[in-house]
Amino acid sequence: MIINLRIWRQEGPDSPGKLVDYTVHEASEHMSFLELLDVLNEQLLADGDDPVEFDSDCREGICGSCGLMVAGIAHGPRKRTAVCQLHMRSFKDGDTITVEPFRAHAFPVIRDLVVDRSAFDRIIAAHGYVSVTTGSAPDANAIPIPKDVADEAMDYAACIGCGACVAACPNGSASLFTAAKIAHLAQLPQGQVEASQRVMAMVDQMDAEGFGDCSNYAECEAVCPKGISIDGIAGMRRAYMKGVLSG
Amino acid sequence: MKLMNALLSPVGRKVLTGATGIGLVAFVIAHMIGNLTYLSPDVNAYNAYAYKLMSLGWLFYTIEILLALCFLLHAAVGISIRVRRRKARPVGYKFYKSAGTPGKSGYSARSMIFTGIILLGFLILHLNSFKYGPGVAEGYTVELAGIGEVRDLRRLMTEKFQEPLYAFGYPLVMILLGMHMRHGVWSALQSLGMMSRRLSPYLYTTAAILGILVAVGFLFVPLYIYFGV
Amino acid sequence: MTISASGLSHSSHLNAKVPAGRLQEKWDAYKNSVSLVSPANKRSHHILVVGSGLAGASAAATLAGLGYNVTCFCIQDSARRAHSIAAQGGINAAKNYPNDGDTVWRLFYDTIKGGDYRSREANVYRLAQVSNNIIDQAVAQGVPFAREYGGVLSNRSFGGAQVSRTFYARGQTGQQLLLGAYQALSHQIAAGRVTMLPRREMIDLVVDNGRTQGLITRNLITGELERYAGDAVLLCTGGYGNAYYLSTNAKNSNVTAAWRCYKRGAFFANPCYTQIHPTCIPVSGEYQSKLTLMSESLRNDGRVWVPKDPKDTRAPEIIPEDGRDYYLERRYPSFGNLVPRDVASRAAKKECDAGRGVGDTRLAVYLDFADSIRRLGEQTIRERYGNLFEMYERITGDNPYKTPMRIYPAVHYTMGGLWVDYELQSTVPGLFVLGEANFSDHGANRLGASALMQGLADGYFVIPYTLGAYLAGTRQSDQVPATNGAFAAVEDEAGTRIDRILNNDGDKSPIQFHRELGRLLWDHVGMARDRTGLESSIHAIENLREEFWERVRVPGTADRYNKNLEFAGRVADFIELGSLMARDALRREESCGGHFREEYQTPEGEAARNDEAFADVAAWEHTDGDPALHLEQLSFENVHLSKRSYK
Repeated sequence: MIINLRIWRQEGPDSPGKLVDYTVHEASEHMSFLELLDVLNEQLLADGDDPVEFDSDCREGICGSCGLMVAGIAHGPRKRTAVCQLHMRSFKDGDTITVEPFRAHAFPVIRDLVVDRSAFDRIIAAHGYVSVTTGSAPDANAIPIPKDVADEAMDYAACIGCGACVAACPNGSASLFTAAKIAHLAQLPQGQVEASQRVMAMVDQMDAEGFGDCSNYAECEAVCPKGISIDGIAGMRRAYMKGVLSG
Repeated sequence: MKLMNALLSPVGRKVLTGATGIGLVAFVIAHMIGNLTYLSPDVNAYNAYAYKLMSLGWLFYTIEILLALCFLLHAAVGISIRVRRRKARPVGYKFYKSAGTPGKSGYSARSMIFTGIILLGFLILHLNSFKYGPGVAEGYTVELAGIGEVRDLRRLMTEKFQEPLYAFGYPLVMILLGMHMRHGVWSALQSLGMMSRRLSPYLYTTAAILGILVAVGFLFVPLYIYFGV
Repeated sequence: MTISASGLSHSSHLNAKVPAGRLQEKWDAYKNSVSLVSPANKRSHHILVVGSGLAGASAAATLAGLGYNVTCFCIQDSARRAHSIAAQGGINAAKNYPNDGDTVWRLFYDTIKGGDYRSREANVYRLAQVSNNIIDQAVAQGVPFAREYGGVLSNRSFGGAQVSRTFYARGQTGQQLLLGAYQALSHQIAAGRVTMLPRREMIDLVVDNGRTQGLITRNLITGELERYAGDAVLLCTGGYGNAYYLSTNAKNSNVTAAWRCYKRGAFFANPCYTQIHPTCIPVSGEYQSKLTLMSESLRNDGRVWVPKDPKDTRAPEIIPEDGRDYYLERRYPSFGNLVPRDVASRAAKKECDAGRGVGDTRLAVYLDFADSIRRLGEQTIRERYGNLFEMYERITGDNPYKTPMRIYPAVHYTMGGLWVDYELQSTVPGLFVLGEANFSDHGANRLGASALMQGLADGYFVIPYTLGAYLAGTRQSDQVPATNGAFAAVEDEAGTRIDRILNNDGDKSPIQFHRELGRLLWDHVGMARDRTGLESSIHAIENLREEFWERVRVPGTADRYNKNLEFAGRVADFIELGSLMARDALRREESCGGHFREEYQTPEGEAARNDEAFADVAAWEHTDGDPALHLEQLSFENVHLSKRSYK
């Protein structure tokens, strides 16, 4: 199949960027979208042009490295699928696909489609953990946890930190990412000890990084490759208010 | 101070919008039910209801002040969230498509700021037409049994809604209000942290039904008057 | 070319430093006698941790928690993305929660046996001992392991183990354990005890005064070469499976850091031991960039088969029972579809080589769930494997509830790695190697759900003790600062290598070379090897190496984000490693675990080990000429070397 691409090219964080048109003549429906970009890059290399830079690593939808706006949607049109697992059978021969980097003030562009998402690491470092040092753990079965609680914690823990939620949010909010970690730990007895400090610190950090406000658009949930629910955001707010009220 | 900081945090801002929103929803529903007394077989029911409200005295004024505060806060925070959007994404997309499901992120969600601003404009006109419109001094009076002479709001209303601009403009705005509520109601509950895995499916539906009910409830009276049923 | 083991002796370098005493008491004895570093001194020790996977993140977090001053580097944009994240199945521990007879000894024994008796007893025993602490630690961090209705942890049997000792978090166990370690690391970053430097690639090791002094990294955004001096370097950089180009490893997984250490004096052990995982999604075309593994738990309910008749190309659903060959059940009646990975992989290759492969490429076999769906219902199968089925469907477009999956083996894990002693220290003092990057615990074949266990055991529970032993014996005066000439010289060399790649007036992309190398290794140093193929591949790889430096072409400059430049450097190292893998495979004239030599098999086609001549670790030393071989003889005092049989 033939695929036309309009790809955002930008030399560096402060350089202006623009959309550039390319055509890949030898696309196949069995290719992943990133493999299509690989083929394009081989083509560009052969022509002596600069390849399109983009982040990717595991290419099986779990590391969260890849993240592109494909045809206007974070990770592309297929639900619950990271762009590395988006296959070309989701497109038609002759389609023109616009590819842009994830955009947010807190995700500055490094080059082309590569952005800096270290703000997420700082949100986790704010208190996205249980303060337990190695060796101090009690027996793993010492605290029983109901199966449905563990399952719900796992639903939120599945977040891959790709940043699609921020990219898709009309406001550029990081609420779903932040809430997913808070909700994961808040479900579990191990996480409840520091629940209040955690939510206050993480929300403050999220704000300090310059992410936007949440307007409950639910676009984040719609593009999340792991299908994380915005119910987590409600939970984050509950925990936050509880934290404020309990001093 | 700590509470102030909390209210200014991203969660606090949402809690403010949500809480004021819920207050406004309560007002809108009460207002709608009040309006419906116009349709009562007792022609004096509407004016009697209006009179009773006014005679609540300090309680009435407190509610008015609270409502005014709700309006102002709701609008101010809503607008500030919208303004921050540009700061959070200084360079926008050349091509963006909503991936949201219609139930959550349809038109009503996307148009909150617009429906909100229109509602604000409408509110000013509305207060000017009715609350601060012609009253006892202008001869809009009616004699209520056991009470005496009171303002004849019913007459004012009947006259206003015989004008096409009011008769059709008002319902139009009420449809926008329904849309605003259709997203606003569950969004407020979400902002207040009341949504959860168990509740949210019901609450999305409740919000939609409430939005439709309010819009329809407000439509009734003007159309009834205009078409002189 | 002939390479023989004769004339090479047990080198004095290869003292594994295994403590004396009974196997069961060695680790306790070690801990009782090891020197401790006082809290005040810990702060003054600067530890450089390279990699933030299970081994790296757990080590960095633990050492920082103890009070060491830690700098941690990772190649990805965040520590949370290290490739440990992709492990699906689970993590073993000898908790014996199901009360099905598991013990530390059994976990040890299964691991030794699974590794085909090519690992060091003492290391493996210690691994089994600390396995339980890992589960406790992970749960305390908030890792949401699967649970039973009663609220206790759930276990499953994995990879043919006869006890249920595998803990899991859906099909994302690696992700959850890594996030646990990453969060512990984040805690220490917040406390100011760890400096985390993402998007850094370690491109050389600085050795001076006979010990590790630090390392050189390339900042992958600015391209700057950076020097870091430290008391010790912990290499936690994973395996080298990407030498094959197509593997289940992540795109950035590479051997460069380990290879640079090899070139600075660290011995590389058993490079020929690579694990081929039997249940991967087959290659679909030339553009294929990586392979996707599906958890081998699928074999618990899926039946592997091929059509009996190579000409039978009917759709799988309509091929009748008597037209199918369930070859694993036929050949291994007692283990059936649950034979270990190496056995299952080779059996699939054998069927495809005989022309019975399925699909367009004929390089695949069926994994069929129809019987299980009939027996247990689609709902049960969905509960067990729903996410894997979804993934398969996303990638192939086929629905495995309706039609059998097509699977084929792919390179997945490498048991070989830098040689380390009992303390996880390489042959370069002060250079420690943890996790998949070392060679130590899995012998010639790794059992399922043991990689996560080893990475975390090394990082959480072994290195905190053994590092102290090294530091207590070092002198501050032997240490040189990053401003020293030793650093400058290594940085210059690294810069020169980068310039050479960029200034080369070539015409082939790094990926083209990588594909060619991959094909060579897959064909000759893959699932089955023989002398002729290995010898020819050594020549071919040497030619490829020369061609690389003549013809490689990398666009752009060194002072910016430049993925092709990164790849080029890594491919150059993979090529050199490929040659060593072939040499090692050639030297090992036996079949064991993941290393199968066509010449050494039983009449039934099973691996034939040669314990008399090859119960050893082959550790290779870099020299200016051919690499020099050193042997560590493996002595088995506690287990009887039996033939692995899964009949």
